Amino acid sequence: MNDLKRILLVEDDPKDVELTLTGLAEYNLANEVVIVGDGEEALDYLYRRGKYQTRHNGNPAVMLLDLKLPKLNGFEVLQQVRSDENLKMIPIVVLTSSNEERDLVRSYKLGVNAYVTKPVDFHEFVNAVKELGVFWAVINEPPPGSVKKR
Amino acid sequence: MNPAIETPAPTSKATAQFFRYSLAFGSVAAATALGFLAYRWDLEESVLMFFVLAVALTSWYGGLWPAIVAFTVGLLTFDYFFTRPYYSLLPGREDVAYSPIFALISGLLIWFGTVRRRVERELQESRDQLERRVVERTAELQRANEQLQDEVAERRRVEEILRERASLLDLTHDTVFVRDMNNTITYWNRGAGELYGWTNEEAVGQVSHHLMRTIFPEPLNEINAELLRTDRWEGELIHAKRDGTRLVVASRWSLQRNDYGNPIAILETNNNITERKQAEEALRRSRDELEVKVKERTAQLSKINAELQLVNKELEAFAYSVSHDLRAPVRHISGFTELLQKHTESVLDDKSRHHISMILDSANRMGNLVDDLLAFSRIGRAQTQTTTIHLDKLIKSVVAEVAPDTEGREIVWRIGNLPICYGDPAMLRLMFGNLVSNAVKFTRTRDKAEIEISSVNDTLDEVVVFVKDNGVGFDMKYKDKLFGVFQRLHSQEAFEGTGIGLATVQRIVHRHGGRVWAEGSLSNGATFYVALPKPRELEQ
Repeated sequence: MNDLKRILLVEDDPKDVELTLTGLAEYNLANEVVIVGDGEEALDYLYRRGKYQTRHNGNPAVMLLDLKLPKLNGFEVLQQVRSDENLKMIPIVVLTSSNEERDLVRSYKLGVNAYVTKPVDFHEFVNAVKELGVFWAVINEPPPGSVKKR
Repeated sequence: MNPAIETPAPTSKATAQFFRYSLAFGSVAAATALGFLAYRWDLEESVLMFFVLAVALTSWYGGLWPAIVAFTVGLLTFDYFFTRPYYSLLPGREDVAYSPIFALISGLLIWFGTVRRRVERELQESRDQLERRVVERTAELQRANEQLQDEVAERRRVEEILRERASLLDLTHDTVFVRDMNNTITYWNRGAGELYGWTNEEAVGQVSHHLMRTIFPEPLNEINAELLRTDRWEGELIHAKRDGTRLVVASRWSLQRNDYGNPIAILETNNNITERKQAEEALRRSRDELEVKVKERTAQLSKINAELQLVNKELEAFAYSVSHDLRAPVRHISGFTELLQKHTESVLDDKSRHHISMILDSANRMGNLVDDLLAFSRIGRAQTQTTTIHLDKLIKSVVAEVAPDTEGREIVWRIGNLPICYGDPAMLRLMFGNLVSNAVKFTRTRDKAEIEISSVNDTLDEVVVFVKDNGVGFDMKYKDKLFGVFQRLHSQEAFEGTGIGLATVQRIVHRHGGRVWAEGSLSNGATFYVALPKPRELEQ
């Protein structure tokens, strides 16, 4: 639990978690993922509170954020992160079922770095997740204070 | 003897004078004669009384001067004949005794006579004066009487004229009456009688405002003030008829003045405007009712509107929820089935592999249905942004978009002149995308597909664009079903699809205020027409 990992996946649906990990596994990134099940837990992780009190210091290289979440939803997490001086530079990718325009607009207004609709087609989905993981966790140079590629 | 009657004639005056002096001498002569007779019968003491009687007689009937003459002559005669020395005028002792007595008595008699005459004369004068006055007054009365008769005649003449004029006024249907300054009716024409129900005889002499129970639009003293100031007044009055019915009249008052400028009468002309007033009132009432109805209807509509908005919100929430929650399980089915397929490919028999591919097919179809339905519902909810659209550019990019689906096929594209139109770019792009991909799809069975996109000679107020293909076409008896949601004229096996594409086209066209229709026949291709209204500023 104290391991530092590059990807923070905020996803409440275990099936989506499994499929996402399947995608990331193709690039051997599955072990680089911390999974949290709701918005509150996501903030606990980032602020090192509750059960994440003892984790090592450092922000994830990317946060994959679902919008429909228990407790605090994706927008609330986004808002909190972007308003915090220590967290606001974390790259955030919204990964959601919805292709509603208002969700898209609201996400970008809150400062999201990318917005990806989960495709129904499995291949497309796996490809999308794979590319996301590779780009943000491997290719992209994360801001200072982020967990880097070992 | 009446001196007043004698005086006017000078001759009779002289005669009277002569008679009066004759009376003086005659009475003295008679006294003398009676004196001699008395003397003979030794009654000489009574002689003087005869002379006194002569003076009294003369004084009574003859006046002052004949009486003095009678006294003087009588004294001399008495001295001459009846006192010693007889037949001598010399005064004797007897004369001294008789003369003063005779003079005193005669003087008294003459004085009485004079007083009597004066009184008589004064009496006469005052009587004469009275008589003159009576004559004068009689003359005056006579004159007054004549004047009065003249006036009566004049009055009769005027009345005759008035009657003539009144009979003329009776001819009018207007209501005319005259009242004096105490509002007592003095004239009442036939029109007034017909309108109010009172005859001339009944109305004349009545106080008009009481008779007709007048209700004034402003205080009566103000009306009267205006009437006296301007000689006229106009306004609406409420009157009562004889049977009690209320009337609204347009009333005009004119003030009549006499030669000295003093107001003497008021001519009132009234027109019955009750019906007009009632019509106005009815109009006003119906307008009020209409307003109330409009308000009610507006309230109803805004309530319905609020309800609709609520429903719309619910629908939106529903669609949002569908968008999030319905796609996930489909994705999971598809994802895990694919993983299953991947891991079991070498183990499973053909039949099982077929079943797995059927599951995947259905999952994909379900995903497409959900996406199409969401897109369709979004058209109804989205705000349209209208802007000028160059259709030629739009069609070109749409054709380019379907290119991947046309690989390995021979398609002849005929793109004609396309106008500029006005609408929401994203929606129109979706609409033409659907029409073009339909054309591509339904010409799949043709060796050589022909697709024409062009415009009909556009009319004044709309732009008409069509997409024509030589594909499988459709039976015209189903043309009404083409645009319904989930309506399909082909089997899934022949042509895949969700049955939402043309419904989306129709919805977009309707949101733009346009029309869409199709022509075609079975196996002979189809043509889809879209007519979009031109905005006014683009007509010029």
